[in-house]
Amino acid sequence: MDLLLMTLTTGIMVGGIYALVALGWVLIYKCSGVLNLAMGEMTLIGAYVSLSFYSMGVPFLLSLLFSLIIGFILGILTERIFLDRLIGEPVLTVIMVTVGLSFFFKGTVEFIWGTDTRVFAPPVFSIEPVRLGPLIIGEVYLWSFVAAIILLVVFVCFFKYTRWGLAMQATADDEMAALSVGVSARFVYAAAWAIAFMAAGVGGTLLGNINGLNISVGYLGLLVLPVVVLGGLNSVPGAILGGLIIGVLQNFCGAYLDRYFPGGVKEVAPFAFMAVFLLFKPYGIWGWERIERV
Amino acid sequence: MSTTFLPCGEYHQSYHEDHAWWQTKFIKGKMILLMLVLFGGIPYMADSYWISVCNQVGYTVLGALGVQLLIGFCGQVTLGHAAFLAVGAYTSTLLILEFPWPKFFLDLGLAYPISILAAAVVAGVWSVLFGLPSAKVKGFYLILTTMAAQFVTVDFVITQYISQIGGRGQAFSLPPGTIKIGPWVIDSDLKIYYMMLVLVILLVAAVVNLLRSRVGRAWVAIRDNDISAEVMGINVVQYKLFAFFVAGFIGGVAGAFWISNLAAISPEHFPWFWSLWLVGVILIGGVGSIHGTIFGSIFMVVVMELLQMAVIPLASSYPKLLMDFLFIKEAAFGLAICAFMVFEPNGLAYRWWQAKNYFNLWPFSY
Repeated sequence: MDLLLMTLTTGIMVGGIYALVALGWVLIYKCSGVLNLAMGEMTLIGAYVSLSFYSMGVPFLLSLLFSLIIGFILGILTERIFLDRLIGEPVLTVIMVTVGLSFFFKGTVEFIWGTDTRVFAPPVFSIEPVRLGPLIIGEVYLWSFVAAIILLVVFVCFFKYTRWGLAMQATADDEMAALSVGVSARFVYAAAWAIAFMAAGVGGTLLGNINGLNISVGYLGLLVLPVVVLGGLNSVPGAILGGLIIGVLQNFCGAYLDRYFPGGVKEVAPFAFMAVFLLFKPYGIWGWERIERV
Repeated sequence: MSTTFLPCGEYHQSYHEDHAWWQTKFIKGKMILLMLVLFGGIPYMADSYWISVCNQVGYTVLGALGVQLLIGFCGQVTLGHAAFLAVGAYTSTLLILEFPWPKFFLDLGLAYPISILAAAVVAGVWSVLFGLPSAKVKGFYLILTTMAAQFVTVDFVITQYISQIGGRGQAFSLPPGTIKIGPWVIDSDLKIYYMMLVLVILLVAAVVNLLRSRVGRAWVAIRDNDISAEVMGINVVQYKLFAFFVAGFIGGVAGAFWISNLAAISPEHFPWFWSLWLVGVILIGGVGSIHGTIFGSIFMVVVMELLQMAVIPLASSYPKLLMDFLFIKEAAFGLAICAFMVFEPNGLAYRWWQAKNYFNLWPFSY
């Protein structure tokens, strides 16, 4: 019973981070229709930038802020240089450009920061676990979850109540209509990439605090794909729910199935689950079903 | 990209001629010349290093051919093809090492050829298994299931279970002399080169012929619009699965071929990077073109070799460069894909087509 409860909470906490990164992904897809496979490398860049600032002695929150700023700039640059020219191109072209970007980012990150695991030193969060009633949670997990939730709320409020957010919603809903009432689509695309880059950076920083930072944190970017498929590609609540589900699923597989299938069940389970899930519900929980005509 | 224009004065009088292998005598002569260069010229001129580069090109062609078939001709985007290469390589290795071959077979050197065939079939069936979702989903969702194929096959099944067979741990080593076709032991780059040539020519010819047939036309119809293809009476699911089978089959041959070049095989030889690399190759070469597969393979392998050569002299002043070459290669590959997609979306094959037409139509190119 204890194990069950522990696994569940850890799963939800990690799932919060997944949800945050998935939100960035869904945002790009909703606004510009780009299926982004470079998300993992975007998390890496954000994480390494904040780690670099932190090891230079900048306070953690400030270095996180710097990584947000750099993520913002990089996001706009990426959109302007590569993706802007590809509006209206076939899906495969756009996907492969993001794959190309992911290699470019990854190669650059490895070239600059190397492949050894780095840790945030001194540790940002204490290793003493926190007790919440019967639950024992690592402080890192708790804070990561809290941070992820705060950011999720901030982003959702941004979409609901600010002018820019409303413009983005309008473009996602119907690009033509949005253009006709004077929303700048180019601005919206750039904003979507900038926000996605920032969300990814925060997610990467939080994950880097849990297990140390190396290139495998970029694996998170692939994990985003089962999350968004589960929730439906163009649904923000779906991304959040999917993140939590995948987080829980992953931890349950790690806790219970690892005995029977030793090794990497935890890494493979989301993908296997996704492949099966697609067979039954290809549009996810809250995704829009596309009706095709000849 | 349709067929090339014929030179002035050459024209077809029957449908049969229009679909002939050798459209003109000149083309036939060119192909014979190409064969002479491939079989005689290159082995005579090139040293062992460049022969091994050629082998890499051949391996890339074999791997990318299946990807080209799926993406370029059947419209089923796959990002997990390295899984099928891995299945082929492991099937072949396991058959050679673990199967109780009768002495007779070993003496005649039949073990490896038979294992290549078996590997191809196993990889084909494995590919069909992961192609099954294509009956229901397409586009981005299909990409995800093929990615699942990569992770489930290579990172889970092969790493955790297949690698444990025989208690060797992570890698299977192939003792020298086990890779043997008939009386020839495949032990030098040159022998691998000849084997590569034969396999590439056989498989390219097979695929081109398949594409000229009913099957190929059905695939192209599915690629262009699967709903209209269905309306026209094509059994879409069946043809899609057949495309997956053929692609997996070719991938299996590629994997089984490549073990001759490796002293030991391990899951690290078939990473996800390699799947993406193969897709990158066909994008750079040109989607929907067999020429494109070959041009892309040559381009990628040779450019990477040249990049390496450029790095080595620099390394004396910046030693870090040599150590980090792998990362430079990754970044360069990524940039190359982006640049090609943005500036040259039709790939190298399109330029080849233009050049050929320019010469064929010269001097009256109107």
